[in-house]
Amino acid sequence: MAANMRGLTQFIADIRGARVRELEEKRINKEMANIRKKFKDGNLDGYQKKKYVAKIIFTYILGYKVDVGHMEAVNLISSSKYSEKQIGYLAVTLLMHENSDFLRLVVNSIRKDLDENNEINNCLALHAIANVGSSEMAEALAEDVHRLLISPTSMSFVKKKAALTLLRLYRKHPDVIPAAEWASRLVSIMDDPDLGVVICVTSLIMTLAQDHLDAYAVCYTKAADRLHRLVIDHEYAATYAYYKVPSPWLQVKLLRLLQYYPPSDDATIRSVLHEVLQTIMNNSAEPSRNVQHNNAQHAVLFEAISLAIHLDSNSPLVGTAAVLLARFISSKETNVRYLGLDTMAHLAARADSLDPLKKHQGTIILSLRDKDISVRRRALDLLYSMCDVDNSELIVGELLRYLKVADYALREEMVLKIAILTEKYASSYKWYVDMILQLISAAGDHVGDEVWYRVVQIITNTEDLQEYAAKVVFEHLKAPSTHESLVKVGGYVLGEYGHLIANEPGYSPVDQFQLLHSKSQFCVASTRSLLLSTYIKWVNVFPEIKLQLINIFERYRHVLDVELQQRACEFYALASRSDDDEMLQNVCEEMPPFPPRVSALLGRLDRKHGDTEDKRTWIHGGKELNLERQMTKRKPTLGTEPNGNGTAVGTSGTDAQSVMASLAGLVVSPTAGSAEAPSKDVDLAASSSSKLPRLTIGPSVDKWFNKLTYSTEGVLYEDVQIQIGIKSRYQGHLGQLAIYFGNKASAPLTSFTATIHAADSEALSVIFTKIPPSTIAPRTQSQQLLQVECKKVFTSFPVLTVSFLAGAHQSISIRLPIGVTKFFEQVKLGQADFFERWKLIGGAPREAQSVFPIALDSAAQLDLPRHRQVISGHRLEILEDVDPNPSNIVGAGVLHTSVDGKVGCLLRLEPNREAKLCRLTVRSTSEDVAAEVRKLVELVLKADSS
Amino acid sequence: MIHAVLIFNTSGIPRLTKFYTPLHQSSQTLIQKIFSLISVRPVGLCNFLDAPELEAFLGPKDDLDERWRVVYRNYATLYFVFVVDGAESELGILDLIQVFVEALDRAFENVCELDLVFHFDEAHHILAEVIQGGLVLETNVDEISNSVQQAAKSRRESFASANPLSLGSGVGGPRGGSLQTPLGWLTDRLTGVGAR
Repeated sequence: MAANMRGLTQFIADIRGARVRELEEKRINKEMANIRKKFKDGNLDGYQKKKYVAKIIFTYILGYKVDVGHMEAVNLISSSKYSEKQIGYLAVTLLMHENSDFLRLVVNSIRKDLDENNEINNCLALHAIANVGSSEMAEALAEDVHRLLISPTSMSFVKKKAALTLLRLYRKHPDVIPAAEWASRLVSIMDDPDLGVVICVTSLIMTLAQDHLDAYAVCYTKAADRLHRLVIDHEYAATYAYYKVPSPWLQVKLLRLLQYYPPSDDATIRSVLHEVLQTIMNNSAEPSRNVQHNNAQHAVLFEAISLAIHLDSNSPLVGTAAVLLARFISSKETNVRYLGLDTMAHLAARADSLDPLKKHQGTIILSLRDKDISVRRRALDLLYSMCDVDNSELIVGELLRYLKVADYALREEMVLKIAILTEKYASSYKWYVDMILQLISAAGDHVGDEVWYRVVQIITNTEDLQEYAAKVVFEHLKAPSTHESLVKVGGYVLGEYGHLIANEPGYSPVDQFQLLHSKSQFCVASTRSLLLSTYIKWVNVFPEIKLQLINIFERYRHVLDVELQQRACEFYALASRSDDDEMLQNVCEEMPPFPPRVSALLGRLDRKHGDTEDKRTWIHGGKELNLERQMTKRKPTLGTEPNGNGTAVGTSGTDAQSVMASLAGLVVSPTAGSAEAPSKDVDLAASSSSKLPRLTIGPSVDKWFNKLTYSTEGVLYEDVQIQIGIKSRYQGHLGQLAIYFGNKASAPLTSFTATIHAADSEALSVIFTKIPPSTIAPRTQSQQLLQVECKKVFTSFPVLTVSFLAGAHQSISIRLPIGVTKFFEQVKLGQADFFERWKLIGGAPREAQSVFPIALDSAAQLDLPRHRQVISGHRLEILEDVDPNPSNIVGAGVLHTSVDGKVGCLLRLEPNREAKLCRLTVRSTSEDVAAEVRKLVELVLKADSS
Repeated sequence: MIHAVLIFNTSGIPRLTKFYTPLHQSSQTLIQKIFSLISVRPVGLCNFLDAPELEAFLGPKDDLDERWRVVYRNYATLYFVFVVDGAESELGILDLIQVFVEALDRAFENVCELDLVFHFDEAHHILAEVIQGGLVLETNVDEISNSVQQAAKSRRESFASANPLSLGSGVGGPRGGSLQTPLGWLTDRLTGVGAR
């Protein structure tokens, strides 16, 4: 459209024609002055405003600061002409930022455009919010945006924009978005047939799910299913293939989303993912000539490897991945080397064993000398992650050697990492001191204060180290040019421990003094004042150089620096006191060990993330570090008390043992970390299962359910849209359930989702053998198989949650009729056998008994056939001729479980016609089974009477 | 998330700049900084660059691992540069740059630097169809050019509706088009002369 405004074209041409920058500026200033005047005069029509605002935008794009036109842009937005509106919105998104005061003025216009029936205007408005949306806009407009996203009448391109806009608003102001409440509705959009919509919604869900893992749990299945459809079934619109790779962006996002969740327990989902990952890895085996195709394929592959590592770092898949990575890091293509090293660092951060990586240590170290700094950085990160006690000397040595030639941009980070590794994996404290002093002398400028503080802290807390440290520092100080950090360490260490080496030749007090003082003149005031403190300590221990020292104090009393002057005066007075005065001695007592504390170095690594940012799924460093991080990440969602790991770190002992402990303790103690991980997982499982969905209530829901508890097939649920039926077969501790989902409506049920919540998956596992399809065509049935296994005695029914879109979003939660009696096997017993066992088991607690009302049949007689049907339906053998009373029923069965073995169970039912009551007695060797069987049988018979 | 999309030529003159995060310093210096980082990298190095130097412009990254990354690609006289954080796949962004370039190419037919200069608004509209608020909106080139064309169409219509002499279908366009009086249109032309 710029072409349609001649003035604008001319303006651009003029600026392009300007030979020098001054002319360009002159032309722009002239134009801006003119525009300012026009705006001031007012009375401009839409076309003029549009033209001037466009000029302002162009000026802004050239990088000039513009301070006019905001108001006109606001006016243009409410114009009824699209071309004006569009320029207005462009100006708003470019010229304003989220804190701009002008934005208040556009909220109403934006709302008007959002509510309009014109999709193109909706999009302009959404786009503006997504770019400059403030928390104020979030409050005012979040509902409207959400409506556009979920409305069934919204076009795909509106949905896409709405999803990303909602994401922006959530990032700016998470409180206004009821993320958990909207969860199931939003996740259902992941089944949208339009892949563009799926990409955008997945972006949104990635962010929301990170903060609400439980509420968005369904997205795990959806993501796995979608990946399967993309990668294996090749089910996508041809236009979404990018150089023959099915939408790599979507694949990458889905693979990343799956990494936000702990690995799933569901065997079906696991095998689906395994198949997907395997296929992705196989696909990459055939490199292609097309750069674009290769890029896309690798993008997916690297994310797939990350997911494989996340799922199980010991799986054979990861073995394959390690081989691939090894090939990548010596690839000719720089991008591939870069990403290969990056992904390897992920592997190193997670894997139990670093051995497969150590095979390539040589290649990795060579990568430190790659021609590309980006690759060098990745190599450094990887070496940092793969360092352990065995190879620390080699790696630290290599890093130190490289440090001397490393890029300046890299040095500070290297120093920090070397310092941490040296501390973490020190094999002996001498090595530690050697390395850290080498580090300080090699890269003085890049050594942060926290590094040398830490050295001093460790030396002070380690008696055995002090003499050695003093010597080594002395030797390092002999170098012709030394860095200030080293002088500081030297000043401190020699001041405290110089007397330990003073008797050895070459280390005499005079030598020490002369060496240190020769450095003083090159140092800044703060270092000099530290040296003054050293001198006063020496006055105490080295009487032979006292005169020289006092001389120095004397001179420093006249320097300009206040701090130095004060110290000099005080020390001078202190040193000049008579020799028998104990004051000096007391002041210069040796430093006590420092209280234990967390290394400041790690503090720098431990900084917190912003709340609504996408989080990384791993960090550089060893396995323990990652475990620790995961735990701290999960803690807030679990609401458990944070434990005091941080304070229990390190000890201040003086023996070598505890020194090593305090060195190791720098990285929050690994034993505490790994010991706790399993218990955390249990917590997590418990907390997620305790949040069972609310059951759907209906007049017949209980009736259908009760009937199915003692029969093998029937209807479980039915309403106007859907019918759910069941056929089941049980054998021993295993069972197979076929569930039929019938769509009764004339429109398809889309975004169909079925999930199972088992309260205690340790006792009863119920899983779909396949991920259910996401669509059920009108008037058809979809059959799904459930694999059921009874591992232990369980007491609650699993819950099936079905949700789908049929106009609106619907969700049904019903209990699945799987009780312990399903795993019973009927047992035939004679009268004698029965009573012998009956007595053997004995009364409470292994007996469960209750009395409850029962219904009579139409002839007001006991409904004996019904009773028999229920008991045998619960898979108990009805034993004839055991009880003399023909109305009574006696039964026996054995429960099969895969973990706890078999449990026998006996039952006696004594109905009474007159009282319309019935007494039920169940005895079993397991009290849980007795109680459970009583509950199941009573449930059905009692319900008859009501 | 994508924090900035920049296009500049091989002399460092910006041709398109779009920031999805507020800047701490002037955009001009940021572009110069990135240009100085990228222009010294010879061909054959990777397309990714860690850029801790950008913290001064885009704000610090809290985590040591979390860094500003620059993903760039060189096409003829232009550098296409995306500044992203750790949540994006590097290669994915590289592919996205290709998609963006293909979309520009469709819209301008053999896109060249001049197209971006004279049709800066159009370039921004195309970008808006690819990335919104720092996130990937659409990656399908067909889909992108459809949206772009649709917007162009309604723009033409509204433009035509603003021009009473045009006999195009624009009159009574999607919004019923509020017609200006011929007089208003004429004065517009007349007063506009000085400004052109």
